[in-house]
Amino acid sequence: MSGKLLDFKAAGFTFVLFLILLLLPPFIPRFFVYILGLIYVTSLLAMSLNLLVGHGGMYQFHHAVFYGVGAYAVALILTKTSLPAWVAFIGGPILAALTGLIIGWFCVRLTRLYFGMLQISLGSLIWAIVYRWYKFTGGDDGIHGIPMPRFLSSLNSSYYFILIVLALSFFLLYLILKSPFGSTLQAIRDNPQRCEAVGINVRRHQLRAIVIGTFFAGIAGVLFVVLERSVFPDLLFWVLSLEIFIMCLLGGWFTFAGPMLGAAITVALRTFVGKYTEYWTLILGVLLILLIFFLPEGVMGYFLGVFKSRGKGMAERRNP
Amino acid sequence: MGFLPNIGPAEFLSQLLVGFSRAMILFTVCAGLSFVLGVLRVPNIAHGSLYMIGAFVTFSLSKSFGGSSGFWFALLLAPLVVAGISLVAERGLFRHLYQREHLMLLLFTFALALILGDLVKIFWGAEYRSVPAPDILKGSISILGASFPRYNLFLIFIGLLVAVALWLFVNRTKIGKISRAAAVDRDMVALLGINVSRVFAGAFVIGCCLAGLGGALVAPTVSITLGMDHTLIIEAFLIVTIGGLGNMWGALVGSLIFGVTQSLGVLIFPQFAIVFPFAAVVIVLLLRPKGLLKSVW
Amino acid sequence: MLQVEGVVKSFDDFLAVNEANLSVQKGEIVAVIGPNGAGKTTLFNLITGQLPRDRGRVVFKEEDISELPPYERCRRGIGRSFQIVNIFPRLTVFENVQVAVLSHQRKSSTLFRPAGNLAVVETGSLLESVGLSDKGKNVVGSLSHGDQKILEIAIALGNEPELLILDEPTAGMSPEETFATIELIKRLARTRGLTILFCEHDMDIVFSISQSIMVMHQGRTLIQGKPEEVRNNSEVQAAYLGGE
Repeated sequence: MSGKLLDFKAAGFTFVLFLILLLLPPFIPRFFVYILGLIYVTSLLAMSLNLLVGHGGMYQFHHAVFYGVGAYAVALILTKTSLPAWVAFIGGPILAALTGLIIGWFCVRLTRLYFGMLQISLGSLIWAIVYRWYKFTGGDDGIHGIPMPRFLSSLNSSYYFILIVLALSFFLLYLILKSPFGSTLQAIRDNPQRCEAVGINVRRHQLRAIVIGTFFAGIAGVLFVVLERSVFPDLLFWVLSLEIFIMCLLGGWFTFAGPMLGAAITVALRTFVGKYTEYWTLILGVLLILLIFFLPEGVMGYFLGVFKSRGKGMAERRNP
Repeated sequence: MGFLPNIGPAEFLSQLLVGFSRAMILFTVCAGLSFVLGVLRVPNIAHGSLYMIGAFVTFSLSKSFGGSSGFWFALLLAPLVVAGISLVAERGLFRHLYQREHLMLLLFTFALALILGDLVKIFWGAEYRSVPAPDILKGSISILGASFPRYNLFLIFIGLLVAVALWLFVNRTKIGKISRAAAVDRDMVALLGINVSRVFAGAFVIGCCLAGLGGALVAPTVSITLGMDHTLIIEAFLIVTIGGLGNMWGALVGSLIFGVTQSLGVLIFPQFAIVFPFAAVVIVLLLRPKGLLKSVW
Repeated sequence: MLQVEGVVKSFDDFLAVNEANLSVQKGEIVAVIGPNGAGKTTLFNLITGQLPRDRGRVVFKEEDISELPPYERCRRGIGRSFQIVNIFPRLTVFENVQVAVLSHQRKSSTLFRPAGNLAVVETGSLLESVGLSDKGKNVVGSLSHGDQKILEIAIALGNEPELLILDEPTAGMSPEETFATIELIKRLARTRGLTILFCEHDMDIVFSISQSIMVMHQGRTLIQGKPEEVRNNSEVQAAYLGGE
């Protein structure tokens, strides 16, 4: 790892990509604008999970709950109260992080599989309540037609908003990962026992990571509502939690931007495959099996590996 | 209003029985899940799909055999069909993953669940199906003023049968004892010259067979639909967790807790009946995070 | 500085440590010896807190630390290296040590400053003092076994401990590496004023550098004393030195 914060080539590339994406909407069909928006939301969700799974080594098996809590918080504040929109937009992530703190506090005291199982049970409880509380949450139907402030009235303006929030979150997550907090988190992932022996309060650190990860999941939830103007219980369902896991795996969970790639591929595939067949789940399953057998480091992990060995090869040729 | 209406002893008993019989179905499925979890150390996410296939296969078989006896044939054959499917999946793909880390095995079972779920959609379509109970088991008996559906009594009987059979298998047969040993220390078992891969295959198939049996048993009591797999697998996971991972008696205890809290919950707060078992699970896990009974590991 | 009093630890039915006693004075170099399975590593785990004891006390600098979790014991000044190399496999050599240094500086949770810029001087000088500074950027997988064991020690030093516990620091090393490591340990003890507790199988090393030796057998403390006392003790000879 170089001491530099930014690898300038990668940073430049990312910035240019951001500009291109920012300028796209007038030139592409509405449908693509929508799909890109969906990709951005899912990317943020996947990256928030990967902070905990790929970089933190925790069995965060029901991450979707925090995403759903964020989304429902926005929906409920905007439909049931007359509070201004910014309250909803900030309330979503805060409520998600609070939920993360409570659930996390119970989970960090357990080792991996139990951590995951407890989270699934607590998360399912929340799902069950949302699913059944028809009067408050709309139950099975969800809530639709959520009003948005005027600056977000069109699809394009929603697109810009989502992209900018995504870019900011991306940048923040990068800073966090490169900070001592991030390197300690990765050290905990690799060897929690050693960390304890070195004076690190592993549980407290993991809990802090959970609060951060669920906060960003909450932001993703807010962005979802901005895009869709509705919420439904599926946002909190365990199947979604596992799908996000797959996105991280697909993209490469030891890399930073891998999950984003995984999310993009998954959403794109789902949309375009969905046009030809209604058996997307089958294809996802087959894709997952192929991944497990042939590409366990994920797409990005694979390419990084290829680059690294090519780079080493070239270096060796220069300095025999 | 629906909150704590006048509950007479008859209704209470009746619901309790419903809870028990539902618990027996859950136990059949969860015992299988627990067994696989204990021996292979992997939570089989495809378990719910296999349960669903068991139910759908029961529908098809009982329809094609026809009549009252059609159900009995289906009850016998459906678990075997499911066992066959799981054998194919295991020998073909799963067993190549045993050397890999556990997360990969878990993700494989998820992939299997996704694929099987859609295969059911392809073969049977999205409509609701139903299976009539055989004539002997139709109707109810009246005990102490409460009415007990005969089929529920049958379920309780079968459940106990399954429990006894499993106990005999694990404790009295050679294969069962080897499975138990493999659960605790697979390296040791391998050193003894036993083909661990075959033990895994056997455990996986037996576990899935039980899931299929559960599906066959549940068929006359519910409408058979897509999505059965999703609801069941979450319940099964939670039951197995509160029971103690890999512990089959724990699966029984967990199933009873789950089944009874849900059925009694219907009496107290019908709209939120589904919340009661989840809440019970949460309470158990907060008090005993590793489950009520000792885990096999 | 460190007192271990009547510590007992059993795993299900196996009594791994059975009334072990140990006394370490400040500035001393103390060795724990005993045949394989005598309970040495378990004892170390009980001292650093990786395992909770069933009975008995561990007292460090007059404070009873028996109930404290490992990270608290570390913060009070106990550092430890592990018998089986226990480092961070995905990080570079520099980052491995940096984790410890950051923890010592209580900066592990700093969020918005790049880790590459923090604790660079301290980590660098630590690497230099153990002779690994030219390998700073290497991923640990590329290090030789001997270097990995030295990295173990460097990580343990990151917290500037007062008591350094080394579990078989020269296991698996060649004679040259062993000699170099022992010289390193002696030098570190001198320059940093460390108290050292270690366990070893190589008796030459043990008897040449220790001021006090504790002998364990089947989980018990047979005796603790100066090298000469231990060498001449008949029980020790019977159990360990003579018979082997």
